[in-house]
Amino acid sequence: MRTDYIRSTKSRVNIQRILTFFILIILFFWSSRGADVQPTKLFEGLPRMADFFSRMVPPDTSVAKTVFKSMVETIQIALFGTFLSAIISFFAGILAAENITPRYINRPVKWLLAMLRGIPVILLALLFVSTVGLGPFPGVLAIALHSTGMLGKFYSEAMENAQIGPIEALESAGANFVQKIRFGILSQVAPDLARDTLFRFELNLRESLVLGLVGAGGIGFYILLYIRSFQYEKVATLTLVVLVAVVIIEQISISIRKSLR
Amino acid sequence: MEVYIGQDKNRSSQSYPDLAEIEVRNLKVRYPGDDRDVLNIEDLIIPKGQTLGIIGSSGAGKTTFLRTIGGFVKPYSGSVTVTNNTRGNIGFIFQNFNLIGRGTVFENVLFGRLGKTSTIKSIFGMFSDRDKDIAFEAIKEVNLTSQIDQRTDTLSGGEMQRVAIARAIAQEAGVILADEPVSNLDPALSHEILDLLVQSSTKHRATLIINLHQPALAKRYVQRIIGLRKGKIVFDKESSLLDNSHLNSIYETEFESSIMFESKN
Repeated sequence: MRTDYIRSTKSRVNIQRILTFFILIILFFWSSRGADVQPTKLFEGLPRMADFFSRMVPPDTSVAKTVFKSMVETIQIALFGTFLSAIISFFAGILAAENITPRYINRPVKWLLAMLRGIPVILLALLFVSTVGLGPFPGVLAIALHSTGMLGKFYSEAMENAQIGPIEALESAGANFVQKIRFGILSQVAPDLARDTLFRFELNLRESLVLGLVGAGGIGFYILLYIRSFQYEKVATLTLVVLVAVVIIEQISISIRKSLR
Repeated sequence: MEVYIGQDKNRSSQSYPDLAEIEVRNLKVRYPGDDRDVLNIEDLIIPKGQTLGIIGSSGAGKTTFLRTIGGFVKPYSGSVTVTNNTRGNIGFIFQNFNLIGRGTVFENVLFGRLGKTSTIKSIFGMFSDRDKDIAFEAIKEVNLTSQIDQRTDTLSGGEMQRVAIARAIAQEAGVILADEPVSNLDPALSHEILDLLVQSSTKHRATLIINLHQPALAKRYVQRIIGLRKGKIVFDKESSLLDNSHLNSIYETEFESSIMFESKN
């Protein structure tokens, strides 16, 4: 009896493992075929890559100021887009939280957020450029809307994880619905919301880099311009500015996130 | 069933037997999708100012009973009537404290004033000077003024329960419900917290109902004891009358006296 049981658990575990392994193998080859993977091409092309890099040196620092300015604009787009998104997500998160609203409200809001997540940021940028014209404003709108899909979901999940006990304690102390959300839920999950927001800001900063490709402001415009006109020395300067800015801002954001409790 | 609605000889001055604070009539409580009665209490009156202890095995319905009085659980049939049942009149003290851990001692006690503060003002933390006075006095009463600005998630268990008691005091609750308030605390702290709980509720003329795991503690601290078994009241008497034969019927076991009453010191 006992040995039978032990044997049966063994075979169950093994079947699961073998199945998982085969599925991963199949997915590996299926995706590599679709991606037209040809390692030989990569090796043959190595000299051309070296050529590409050699044309980047020495970097043309005459554009440093212009590039820096547009990098600042990119940061502003990402930051303001995150602010807007945080405000919308705050209310969306409350509406989508299963422990706050009834099913017939939180389900549709969750679907709406999933739809927003599904639309690529570049597509939203194109849409808003054709709506409000060229410049950083359509970029801000695109970033705000796109990140609300994720941030609203994260916020609602954080609120759903709030412990019920302290909320009940406040209820017995006479707190009404709004007071319970403010002190029972938000007080508990505020650090989570802040962490989610900072993380989203880091993502937004990287996504904002490409907004200029469709005329939605920021450094993307120069990426397109310099590459199209084969000015690789300028591309080098631009790459350096982007790299330094992104790394510094991410490090600041990460250290703030770690300090929250 | 023997029903006791009376006064303890020692604490009679604090009890107001003519005024029913809580009245239970034909109360049945069931959980959704289950037709068994978790609680089945025909008739119970708890006078104003009384200290009442509820004992019984795990699953006897002690917590459900408190949560029904507190309004967290709706009766399946029958009623629980609490006199003057305005917002915040029932203070609840929990086994696991249930404080807002990121808030300070002062903030947590101030939350006891939420029911008396307008929504907009409270959201921006604009409590009146009177509310702050009341909160401060409550903190003084539980002897935590030195830690008033400390975050409650940095406090010890005993200190956390003091904060919860201070919150109930700040609420000016007419009824204080304590659900196994000392089961997470060591014996010395248990006495300290129960002392404080009984003293404060007596001082503020609040009716106090405590669920307790240890009959010895109930016998020592409350005026009246109710024994629950499978959702029904099987014992209801002045606490001094509780003896081993009662315990054996409440807990359906054979206890030795030394186990039940040894901790009386």
